[in-house]
Amino acid sequence: MRERFANHFDPFVIPFLVGMAFVLGYYLIGMIRVILQLPKADRKRFLLTLITPKYIWMNIRDIFLNCLIHVKLWKRNRVLGYMHSSIAFGWFMIILLGHLEVILFVPERIHLFYYPIFFNYFVAETEQTIQGSLLMFLMDFFLLMILSGIAIAIIKRFASRIVGMRRTTRLSLLDQVGLYSLWSIFPLRLLAESFTAHISGGSFLTIPANWIFRQFLGNDLNALPTWWAYSIALGVFMCVLPFTRYMHIPAEMLLIPMRNAGIRIRHPRKGFALLEVYSCPACGVCIDACPMSVRKVNCKDATVYLNRQLRRGNERRIEEISDKCLLCGKCTAVCQVGVQGPELRMAQRARRKYALSPSYSGINVRPMAAAVAHGAGGDSGGVLYFAGCMTKLTPSIRRATTSLLDKAGVRWQMMDPEEGLCCGRPLMMAGRSEQARELIAKNAEIIRASGCDTLLLSCPICYKIFKEEYRLDGIRVVHHSVFFEELIEAGRLKVRRNGDLKLVYHDPCELGRGCGVYEEPRKALAAAGELVEAGKHHAESICCGGSLGSLTLGFEQRRPMTQNALDNLTVADPDQIVTACPLCFSTFVHAADRPVRDIAEILDSQS
Amino acid sequence: MVNRTPVIAIIGAGIAGLEAARQLNDLGYKPILIEKAPVTGGHVAEWNRLFPDMSPAADLVQSLESQTAKVRTMTGTEIASINRLKDGYSLILSDGETLVCEAVLFATGFHLFDASKKEEYGYGIYEKVITNRDLEQWFNTRHDPRIGHPKAVGFVHCVGSRDVKAGNTQCSKVCCITAIKQAIEIKEEFPEAEVYCFYMDLRLFGKKYEDFYIKAQRDCGIHFIRGRVSEVGEAIDGRVVVKAEDTLSGKPVKVTLDLLVLMAGIICNSDAQHYAQQVGVAVDDDGFLKSRDNVGAIVESSRPGIFFAGACTGAKTVPETLAEARSAALAIHRYFSKRG
Amino acid sequence: MDFGFKLNPSSAVNLDTVDRARYDRLVQLEPDALTCIGCGSCSATCTAAPWSGMSVRKVILGLQRGQDDEVDSMLSRCMLCGKCTMVCPRGINTRHLILTLCRLNRKGEIVR
Repeated sequence: MRERFANHFDPFVIPFLVGMAFVLGYYLIGMIRVILQLPKADRKRFLLTLITPKYIWMNIRDIFLNCLIHVKLWKRNRVLGYMHSSIAFGWFMIILLGHLEVILFVPERIHLFYYPIFFNYFVAETEQTIQGSLLMFLMDFFLLMILSGIAIAIIKRFASRIVGMRRTTRLSLLDQVGLYSLWSIFPLRLLAESFTAHISGGSFLTIPANWIFRQFLGNDLNALPTWWAYSIALGVFMCVLPFTRYMHIPAEMLLIPMRNAGIRIRHPRKGFALLEVYSCPACGVCIDACPMSVRKVNCKDATVYLNRQLRRGNERRIEEISDKCLLCGKCTAVCQVGVQGPELRMAQRARRKYALSPSYSGINVRPMAAAVAHGAGGDSGGVLYFAGCMTKLTPSIRRATTSLLDKAGVRWQMMDPEEGLCCGRPLMMAGRSEQARELIAKNAEIIRASGCDTLLLSCPICYKIFKEEYRLDGIRVVHHSVFFEELIEAGRLKVRRNGDLKLVYHDPCELGRGCGVYEEPRKALAAAGELVEAGKHHAESICCGGSLGSLTLGFEQRRPMTQNALDNLTVADPDQIVTACPLCFSTFVHAADRPVRDIAEILDSQS
Repeated sequence: MVNRTPVIAIIGAGIAGLEAARQLNDLGYKPILIEKAPVTGGHVAEWNRLFPDMSPAADLVQSLESQTAKVRTMTGTEIASINRLKDGYSLILSDGETLVCEAVLFATGFHLFDASKKEEYGYGIYEKVITNRDLEQWFNTRHDPRIGHPKAVGFVHCVGSRDVKAGNTQCSKVCCITAIKQAIEIKEEFPEAEVYCFYMDLRLFGKKYEDFYIKAQRDCGIHFIRGRVSEVGEAIDGRVVVKAEDTLSGKPVKVTLDLLVLMAGIICNSDAQHYAQQVGVAVDDDGFLKSRDNVGAIVESSRPGIFFAGACTGAKTVPETLAEARSAALAIHRYFSKRG
Repeated sequence: MDFGFKLNPSSAVNLDTVDRARYDRLVQLEPDALTCIGCGSCSATCTAAPWSGMSVRKVILGLQRGQDDEVDSMLSRCMLCGKCTMVCPRGINTRHLILTLCRLNRKGEIVR
C-alpha cells in the first residue's frame, strides 16, 4: 500500500466535507431539540434507558434490524425489502469497510473524515495481498448490491406496480433532488473507482470496467472529474437530506430508542411526534393500506401526506387530513417505521380551540349507580354488561349476548338498561379528552357501585377505552367475543358446530389493531361453523368505513369504503359475515349481499 | 319475422302485466306473460283490501286474470337472459325455451324493503314487530300468532323509504295511506286498542285519501305522532318499547306496544335492473328503470321495443299502475302502427 | 310577588330581525345541515337527551330562529357518541355538525 499524495488532500473532497458537516450539525441540533421538547418525565425516562444495558442491547438490535435490514418491509414485500436493505445495508458496509481499510493500511489517517470514503483515490495498492483483495472484493460486492437496489428503485419509481405497489408517493421538488443525487452516488462511485482501478486496485466490478474504459479513454486525467462528481453527489445529497424524506435515516435512529423507552405522542408538533414525522420515509405503503384510498381524492389524506404537510406547516391541509381519518390504525400496522398516524391526528385534534365545551358535571349518576347496586342485591361479584350507545341500535346483539349469559349460567346485570352515558371514546377520538375524562369518572362511579368483578362489553369502541383509560381497581374488563370463547373453552357454553355454515370474521379496528384481540373470536367461531379468512385480515383487516374516528367524512363518501371492505370479506364466498362490533355490523348490514351477524348471534343460534 | 302478429313479452304478471296483456290482446297483438312466482297477481294478490274504496284486492286480481285467460301465461318461469335481435328480442327462459318477440314490456314491479335491514326496529328479533305485508296476510288468513289481541298498536311510516342508510332516498307514496288504512282496520278489529302512527310527513295526495285521514282522526281516535321511530326495545313481558321524538311538542316520547307494524317501502326490483342491463336500458339514479321522459313518456324506454308499466319506474298506487299499463299498451300499439 | 297573572314578552320569533350568522357559517362548513327534515330520530336516540334535551334537529332549527341560548345549552351535554349520525335518514354527519358548531362563536366566526 502506498499513499499517492503527500498532502493527503485534494479539493474534490470539499463538497463531501461540507455536506457531512451540514448534515451532522443539523442532526445534532434537531436531536437535542426533540429531546428538550419532551415533557420532563418522558425526558428523564428516555435518558435513563440510554444507560440501561437491557435497553442499549434492545436499541442496537432494533436499529440494526429496522434501519439496515428492514425486516418489517421484508415480511411485507420481498422486492421492496431487498431494495431498501441492499441500499441501506450495502452502504453501511461500504462505510464500515472503508474505515477498516484505513485502520488496516493507513491507521495514521483515521482522523481524516474523507479518507474512508475516498480511500481508493488516496491510497494505491502496490502489491496484491489476500487481505487487500478480500476487502476490494467485498467493496465491489456491496457496491453491486447497492446498484441492484438502485435499479429496483428506478423501476419502482416509474412502474410501481411491478414491485407490488398500486400507488406510490408523489415527490416534492427537494425530494426529487435528494432522490436523483442518491441514485447517482453509487454509479459515480463505480465510475470513479473504475478509473483508478489500474492504480489503486479493484475487484470483479472495477477492474473489468477499468479495462473497458482504457480501451477508448486511456487518460488518467478522466479519473479526477469522476471523483469530483462522486463527491458532489454525496455533498448534494447530504445538504438536501434534512429537507427531504431521507431525513428518516437519521431520525429513525433516535425514534427507535425513544419508542423502546415507551415515550408517547403528547403534542402533534413537538418531541416524539416531530421525530415520527421526520422518520417517515415517504415510501407510500400507507396509501394502498388506507381504507379511504378507494376514493382517489382521498389518496392525498394518507399518513405519508400528513407527515409531509406537518413538515411544511400547511395548517389548512393538516387540519383537513387530521379530521378526515377513520383512525383505523392500518397505516401504523403496515408502516415499517411505525409512524402512529391515528395518534398524530388525535393529538392534532386535541389542539383545537372551541367556543363551546360541553361539561357533564351536572349529570347525576347516583340513580344509575343505585339501580345497579340494588339490582345486584348488594352482592359482590358477577358480570356487569354495558351495552353502550351503539348496541342500543342493534337489539339483536344485546339480545344474543344476554341470552348466552343466561345459557352459560352467568350471574349478570345490565349497566344501562334504560339510559346510560357514553364511554368517552368518541370524545377521545375527537380530541376532547378533557370531556372524556368527565364521562370516565361518572361511568367508573356506576361500575364500582355495582360491586361486579367483570365488566362485559359488546362494543369494541367501549372496550378499548374501558381497558386503557378506566381505573377500575381489580374489575376485569372483557369483550364479549373473548368472554364467550372462554365460556366455550370451559365447557359452560355448549356450541354445536355446523360444518355447512361458512363464516368469515371481520376484525373490527378497535378490537383487532386497537386491542390486539384476533384469535379468541376466531376460535369461538370455529366452534360454530367453518371459518374462512378474508383477503386481508388480522392486523391488515380493512375498516368498515363506519368508524367514529373520522369527523368529516360524510355518509356518501364512506359508502365506497364499506363496499371495498365487503369485497375483501367475501373473497372466499362465505355464507355469512361475522363481526364483533355493533358499528361495523350496522355499517355492513345495509350494504352486504349476504347476512351480517354479530359473533354473539352466531354463538347464540348454535347453542 | 315477416308479417306475423307481433309478439310482446311481458315480464311480470302482477296487475300491471295483467292489465297490459288484456289491452294488448284486445288490440290484436300476441302478449305472453312471464311470471317468476307460481301465481299471477303480484303484490296485490297478497293484499286484503284496497284504498280508497276498501274493495277486496282479490276481486281486482280475479277480474284481471279472467280477462287474460286466453293470454299465454308462463308462471314459475324466470328469465335467464335477454338478447337484442335486429328487430326484436329473444328471451331465454329458465325452462330452456327461447322466446322471440317484437317488443318487451317491463312490468317487473317492485320489491318490498326487507324490514330486518333496519336492525334498530328489531324485525325478525322481537316477536311483536311485523310488517305491512304480514298484517295484510293476517287480514286474509286470520292466522298469525304474533298478533293476538293487542291493546296498543303502533305503525311506523317510511321504513326503508326516504332513508339514505337503507339505500332508498325516495318516498314510497303508498305507505302513508296504507298505514292509515291498516290503522283503521286494526281499530275496527280491536276497538279497545290505542293506535299510534309515527310519521315524518303525511303525504296523502290521492283521491279520497284525506277522507281516510279524517276518519282515522275523528272516528277512530288514532294518535298521529310526528316523529320517526329511532329505537325499539323490549320490555320484560315481551312487549316492545318504542322511542321517538314528538317533534310537534319537541319532547321525546316512549310508548309500550303489543304490536308494531313497520310500513316497509317500495324499492326497485333488482331482477329488473339485471334485465335492463342486458338489453341496454338505463337505470335511473334512484335504482328504478329510467323512462325516456318522466313527463311525456313514462312508459317508454330510450330503446325501441322496450316499454315500461307500473312500479318498475318508481312507486305507484294501484290505479296509477293500471292506468300506466293501459298507456303502455297504447304506446306499443303506436310503435307497431308506425313500423307498419 | 304574585299578581295572579304574569306579564310575558312576546314569544313570537321575528324572522325579520333574527341573526342567522352562526347558521349561515355552519351550512358553509357542513352543508348537510340544510337537508334536515326534522324527523326527530336524532332527538329520540340521543344519549345526552335525558340531561339536556339535546336534539340536533332542534339545534339546527334553533339556529335559524335565533334561539342561541337554547342551542348552547343543548350542545353543552353532547357526548359525541354518534348515535344520531347512525339513525339520520338523510345521512347528515351530525357529529361534524356539532363539532363545527362548538368551534363557532355567536357571530359565526371560528375561534382560533
